[in-house]
Amino acid sequence: MRPGGRRYRRVLIALAVLLVASVALAVAVGAVWIPPATAARLVAWRVGIGSRPDVPHSTEVILFQLRLPRVLLAAVVGLGLGVSGALFQGLFRNPLADPAIIGVSSGAALGAVAVIVLGGSAAFGGLGVSFAAFVGALLTAFLVYRLARIGPTVHVATLLLAGIAVAAVISSAMSLAMSFAGEDVRNIYFWLLGGLGARGWTSLEIVTPLVAVGVLGAAALVPDLNLVSLGEERAAQLGVDVDRFKTAAVALGSLLAGAAVSVSGVIGFVGLMTPHVLRLVVGSDHRRLLPAVMLAGPAFLILADLAARTALAPQELPIGAVTALLGGPFFLYLLRRERRRANALA
Amino acid sequence: MPDGGLSFRGVRAGYGAAPVVRGVSLEVAPGDVVGLVGPNGSGKTTLVRVASRALRPADGEVRVAGRDPYAISGREAARLVAVVPQDVIPAFSFTVLEMVLMGRTPHRSRWGGADEADWARAREAMVAVGVQHLADRPMEELSGGERRRVILAQAIAQDAPVLVLDEPTTHLDIRHVVDVVSMVRTLADEQSAAVLAVLHDLTLAASVCDRIVVLHRGEVVAEGAPETVVTRALLRTIYEVDADVEVGRASGRPTVMVGPPAAVGPSTGRAAHVVGGAGRAAPLLRRLVERGLRVSAGVLHGTDTDDEVAARLDLLRVSVPPFSEIDDASAEACLAMMRAADVVVVCDAPYGPGNVRNLELALRAAEDGVPVLLVEEMPIEERDFTGGRATELWTELRAAGRSFASTADAVAWALAGRDAS
Repeated sequence: MRPGGRRYRRVLIALAVLLVASVALAVAVGAVWIPPATAARLVAWRVGIGSRPDVPHSTEVILFQLRLPRVLLAAVVGLGLGVSGALFQGLFRNPLADPAIIGVSSGAALGAVAVIVLGGSAAFGGLGVSFAAFVGALLTAFLVYRLARIGPTVHVATLLLAGIAVAAVISSAMSLAMSFAGEDVRNIYFWLLGGLGARGWTSLEIVTPLVAVGVLGAAALVPDLNLVSLGEERAAQLGVDVDRFKTAAVALGSLLAGAAVSVSGVIGFVGLMTPHVLRLVVGSDHRRLLPAVMLAGPAFLILADLAARTALAPQELPIGAVTALLGGPFFLYLLRRERRRANALA
Repeated sequence: MPDGGLSFRGVRAGYGAAPVVRGVSLEVAPGDVVGLVGPNGSGKTTLVRVASRALRPADGEVRVAGRDPYAISGREAARLVAVVPQDVIPAFSFTVLEMVLMGRTPHRSRWGGADEADWARAREAMVAVGVQHLADRPMEELSGGERRRVILAQAIAQDAPVLVLDEPTTHLDIRHVVDVVSMVRTLADEQSAAVLAVLHDLTLAASVCDRIVVLHRGEVVAEGAPETVVTRALLRTIYEVDADVEVGRASGRPTVMVGPPAAVGPSTGRAAHVVGGAGRAAPLLRRLVERGLRVSAGVLHGTDTDDEVAARLDLLRVSVPPFSEIDDASAEACLAMMRAADVVVVCDAPYGPGNVRNLELALRAAEDGVPVLLVEEMPIEERDFTGGRATELWTELRAAGRSFASTADAVAWALAGRDAS
């Protein structure tokens, strides 16, 4: 398959259609049905095209204050998690890697839990939890990265082990914090399982630039990602500055995942599944993989969020539970498949 | 060549405290194929890593195409030196074409895709190693040999003036060994690539390389044309094996035979002296050694197969220059050997003025009481080039000693027994 091949173009078009369709569907479905055409005309009117359609004011409020920011947030978080997953899988040369692997998720969770327990949730205009989560994510990633670095060289195996060890320490610290949490424990649980309902436009305004920077940076790493999957030494022989690449990949992957986690809580399996499934469809060339992930990640999370809020309406499920419900069995399938592949090569 | 090729000067490099490579200097000029050989652990791969910008030397300098690879970016270095590592196993599934295109990385911009030149070069490289029919196949479905050739194509696509190969022919069948070798030669001959190839197969190294450098315990211990380097002495001292080396008559290239020229049998305590010539004694010499006899030979003529074989078998021997008559000193020495032997075997060689004296010597030994066996598969009349003198002597020998109108094998078998008869 050529990079610009016809099949690949068809896959991209299909994913783009899926993304648009999932946005339209997620905007339309809820306690109040908003026909996609109406929603489109309302959005057009808001940006100054055409006239306001004849709908009740409540529809306008639901669309602009509830549905649209939530759908867009799901899209941005899905984008961040998906691209972050692709980066970490490339860095670790392992299709089972995801952003949680270097402790980003647990670090973010600890930051959030600390703020909830210490009562700082209202800081930064109600974004205290997000801020703490973001800082926690980056600090943890930095710590793990430093632990794995000896001289100029980052040892990927050590990175993996340090990530697991640090995550274990953090998770026990979190258990400890939660035992002092009292009635905040419900908040904590909800945060740990992830949710996109909370902040509306404010979260979106903060997380979008961070994710944009991360995605642009990841795009710049694309050729290196391909080469590094041949092994670090081979990549270096073909001209990649491997140490700089690893630093950049850890930094960008952590930025993306940290930003996503800070506004949505811990949402697992998006970063794992999206790149992996697409690799089966478009191949492993990151030039082709990354654009596909950028379309599929948002679509997947929008649909997962739609399921989370409509499956047992009016009760809302934590989105992390929905992605895990889909991701868990899939993860097991991947494990089995990798096993078979390893056997076939042996 | 000041700004071409690959050079190491006084390079020390290694991991941790003890250097693996200890002060290596070597040059590979453009158009040269240099073989780097040496036992396992001698520092060959370490040297490859130094050249490929993977291991900064602790001391000394390395230059690729005139530049210090550690003073330029990895990308620039990758345009100057292409490496073929022992194996590459991608973590993800890539097709052969994708793999080969990756070799173009140092020539491509970060944001742009592959342009026409990249595609063309990748195709050429695939054709050169014969993997074009595999272009769309995923790497993990290929055999070890096919994977090797893909990596080779990747390195060729890199278009670097210096090529470093780490064991390029392992896992390849003979046809692909020949393909790879001739391709490497073409790169050197037609594109003036400087090629350094780590090879374990000394015969292959000798047949391909212009020069061979032997590395032992991190130092260069021998260097030069294949026939001067790949010798029995080298195998003994460096590899500590007794293996035979023959120099191809047409190619002039040495060939290593695994194992010594003959398996020396358990000693019988008996000694035999063999008179030969024109290659008639060679098979007998080997068989007698194998059967545990102490063998001497002579008088032989230089460049004769019998002389060569006797030398290779490390036999006690007397030889004179080719086409010369046997001088008195040699005759005396040879007679002493015959007298010291338990038996003298006279082979059915052609006898002319140059060697007829051997028959006289054998006759004197027989007169002194040494048993003489004659190998007589061919009648003496057909191989007498002395105008009757040889026939005369042969007849006398027949009377004095014993005649075997049989094969050398039968002689050897008989001699190995407890009784010479």
